[in-house]
Amino acid sequence: MVLLEREQFLTELTRLFQKCQLSGSMCITLKKYDGRTKPIPRKGSVEGFEPSENKCLLRATDGKKKISTVVSSKEVNMFQMACSNLLRASMDGLKKRDKKSKTKKSKAVQ
Amino acid sequence: MPQYQTWEEFSRAAEKLCLTDPMKARVVLKYRHSDGSLCIKVTDDLVCLVYRTDQDVKKIEKFHSQLMRLMVAKESRSVAMETD
Repeated sequence: MVLLEREQFLTELTRLFQKCQLSGSMCITLKKYDGRTKPIPRKGSVEGFEPSENKCLLRATDGKKKISTVVSSKEVNMFQMACSNLLRASMDGLKKRDKKSKTKKSKAVQ
Repeated sequence: MPQYQTWEEFSRAAEKLCLTDPMKARVVLKYRHSDGSLCIKVTDDLVCLVYRTDQDVKKIEKFHSQLMRLMVAKESRSVAMETD
């Protein structure tokens, strides 16, 4: 699992989407993150660890390559805009929500 | 593993699940260009809610952003559903 900086993560994510156009699926996972870097031991307590509230972990994979990044509340605005644009631009293989049936790409999968 | 047919029910249930236990809940988005399908799953390892579609990219992506904001918010407050 590769942990990347925000910018790099977005670049890699774009690349992953492009690779997946022909076949395969893209999985993006979002989870709240409290900043821990060590696993919690079964006995005893974790020393010197203060859980932080304002972060989340984003992972992406195309089945082969895995990337991840951590987003905190300060970055979330910028990251969210970039991410939304990227998702909307990449996930364009779906039907439009029109009543008229516009079949741009051949999606006759039945 | 309940599959939801309507977006409203799914988003309500998913948001509730995220608010109940933010640390346990996770959101998974699965996109298949070849099939033209998008699937969003919200789970806390006990309950799993799934919604599949081939259309509502905007709604799902907006909801995904909402949940992201929820997770990075410091105070625990309920996010009002923004209806545009």
